[in-house]
Amino acid sequence: MPTTVTMPRLSDTMEAGTVIKWHVKEGDTVASGDVLADVETDKATMEMQTYDDGVVAKLLIGAGDRVAIGTPIAVIALDGEDASSADSAKPAAAAPVAPAAPEASTEEPVVVTGTVVMPSTHADTGARARISPVARRMAEELGVDINSLRGTGPGGRVIKRDIEDAAARMDGGAVPASTMPVVMAPAPAAAPSLPVVAGPGSREVAVSGMRQAIARRLVESKSTIPHYQVSMRFNMDPLLELRTMLNAQLEPQGVKLSVNDFIVRACALAMAQHPYFNASWAGDRIIIHGEVNVGVAVSLPAERGGGLVVAVIRNADQKGLRQISLDTRALAEKARTRGLGPEEMMGATFTISNLGMYGVDHFTAIINPPNSAILACGAAVERPVVRGRQLCVGTELDATLSLDHRVIDGAMAAEYLTTVRHNLENPATLLV
Amino acid sequence: MSTAIDPTMTATREIEFRDALREAMSQEMRRDPRVFLLGEEVAHYNGAYKVSKGMLDEFGPRRIIDTPISESGFAGMAIGAAMMGLRPIVEFMSWSFSLVAADPILNNAPKMLYMSGGQFGCPIVFRGNDGAGGQLGSTHSWCVEGLYSNVPGLKLAIPSCPEDAKGLMTTAIRDDDPVFFLESERVLGMKGHVPEGDYLIPFGQAKVRREGTDCTLVSFGRPVNFCLDAAAELAKEGISCEVLDMRTIRPLDIDSIVRSVRKTNYCVVVDQSWSFGSPGSEVASQVHQHCFDDLDNFVHRVHSADVPTPYAFNLEQEYLPNARRICEAVRSCLYRA
Repeated sequence: MPTTVTMPRLSDTMEAGTVIKWHVKEGDTVASGDVLADVETDKATMEMQTYDDGVVAKLLIGAGDRVAIGTPIAVIALDGEDASSADSAKPAAAAPVAPAAPEASTEEPVVVTGTVVMPSTHADTGARARISPVARRMAEELGVDINSLRGTGPGGRVIKRDIEDAAARMDGGAVPASTMPVVMAPAPAAAPSLPVVAGPGSREVAVSGMRQAIARRLVESKSTIPHYQVSMRFNMDPLLELRTMLNAQLEPQGVKLSVNDFIVRACALAMAQHPYFNASWAGDRIIIHGEVNVGVAVSLPAERGGGLVVAVIRNADQKGLRQISLDTRALAEKARTRGLGPEEMMGATFTISNLGMYGVDHFTAIINPPNSAILACGAAVERPVVRGRQLCVGTELDATLSLDHRVIDGAMAAEYLTTVRHNLENPATLLV
Repeated sequence: MSTAIDPTMTATREIEFRDALREAMSQEMRRDPRVFLLGEEVAHYNGAYKVSKGMLDEFGPRRIIDTPISESGFAGMAIGAAMMGLRPIVEFMSWSFSLVAADPILNNAPKMLYMSGGQFGCPIVFRGNDGAGGQLGSTHSWCVEGLYSNVPGLKLAIPSCPEDAKGLMTTAIRDDDPVFFLESERVLGMKGHVPEGDYLIPFGQAKVRREGTDCTLVSFGRPVNFCLDAAAELAKEGISCEVLDMRTIRPLDIDSIVRSVRKTNYCVVVDQSWSFGSPGSEVASQVHQHCFDDLDNFVHRVHSADVPTPYAFNLEQEYLPNARRICEAVRSCLYRA
């Protein structure tokens, strides 16, 4: 029975994918692990591999077509099968992106030519992955992301050999598509509308996959999201005083809280009161997320190719300063040395970009889709201020929100910033 | 006390399963005057299956006793003798015939020590043919291990080869508890190396009959030999099976099973009794308990089919947990079906 390849779920918010490019054509022989296509998701462009050996019997959609996850996109005749037996497979209507709830189930088998095709991943809908006990244990030991695997056991159960195969692919450098860091995937660069001429003395720098992804995603963000900015200035004196005291007391425990840790907590707590800051525009509706996951932009050192990634502090509204600090440090360190795994970069619902440590007073940021807002923080700077009708020296920080006007209006932004300011200027509230 | 043996003399000696049983019984009777054998046809006829051949001549009619066809009677009498300090060996021509002696052997012997508050033990061996003997029909083909292993207070040994027949029988006769010793008519003629002299195999120690890396086959008694056939067949497909011969069901050497399953991650239990409430289901349950995080698939089981034993030759062969059915179970367990 030929195997039908369906549009895989390659990121947690993905509802549909676009085949940017087919790497195979009908009649090609493929082996498990071969790249079938580049698939563009809401996050990045990623390679989609085949899990079966055989011959590509049919490509059901063309390059550029966008279809919902679970939609059949190709048919592979397994070794020894007649490729023509797959002819009855009908391509699904292109772009049937159902405006379903975010929990849109992909667990429902898609029946094509009598074959029950199980969804290729298990990360969605909260359904438990079917996996044998020893496979689960081995995955933990070997660091294999089980959600990226398609089980070959009954009903799609992930079994021992699936883990062994995945581990072998990791060792061999061919990382399974969906375990690749999102920003590492190659993506077509957004071509400038005017040709760029390389003049005398100029030189070319090869563009990394990450740079391509940054280029493509930010063009998409800036050109599709109606951005606007709202700024506010915060009095940082009480917070800095508290921070100095806390860090002196916590030093023996190796804890050193940064200003950014306080900002993460202040923003996360404010989101509980302002749920639209923890939301995504979804075409015909707004999705308000259940978890508050704050992304923190981390720049990577030049020797790692530069660029930046967004590390995600999960459930930041439920974490204390100490945990936020530990999480942020651990993720930033890992990002700069070994790189982050996809699960450490996915699922942010709000992002903070902080250039204060570089002495920047003020800047604006581009929204990190599918977020609805990003906060750009400058440095805490001593300035002449007026307090109690007296001119004195105070420390202040300028922060600028970039907002998606489809989700958040100006007055809402002002209210949110007022809450953030209250949190920061009364920092004891951040301790409890 | 062990007798010194010249290993070069014993290494090549091969005798039949039935000879190994006789050797163990005769040696123990020479060693211990309390030991005696009784049962139908054991004396003058030299045993229905010639296990006791020549024993009447050596030990005389007071110790090799022909009984009437009255299992309940002679089993009960032997239990009384055991309570009084003798060490009887009761031969059932077939374990199928022990069913009429269920009350003495299940309700008296295993409970005697407990119910008498330790006043009376019951050092007795019940032995005989168990399982399908070859076209004996439904009522004479009982595998009693499923029923009898359910009872606390007894020990249950089930050898698969001549060497174990001798080693386990010697241990059974010297054991102070009632031992149910299950032989198979189909393997009585099997020849194999058997050590001379005193030879004891402790109860509760499984033997790895074939080492392997891909799947653990757990069995006992005659089906161990089916497992070895299946393992040879599967080796041609590149599947390396480890065959564990449990040798006793009570006590059960679960440690050896766990050790093997932790290595292979797969377990197939082969048991000639019916599947419902069987030693095989008990093994599977214990493996699931102890090896849950080591299993890549649920424990598969191969039993006799859940029907009365057929008389027809071809049906009886298919009914048994034969090598082909074991191969299919292993492939299925390893997701290679």
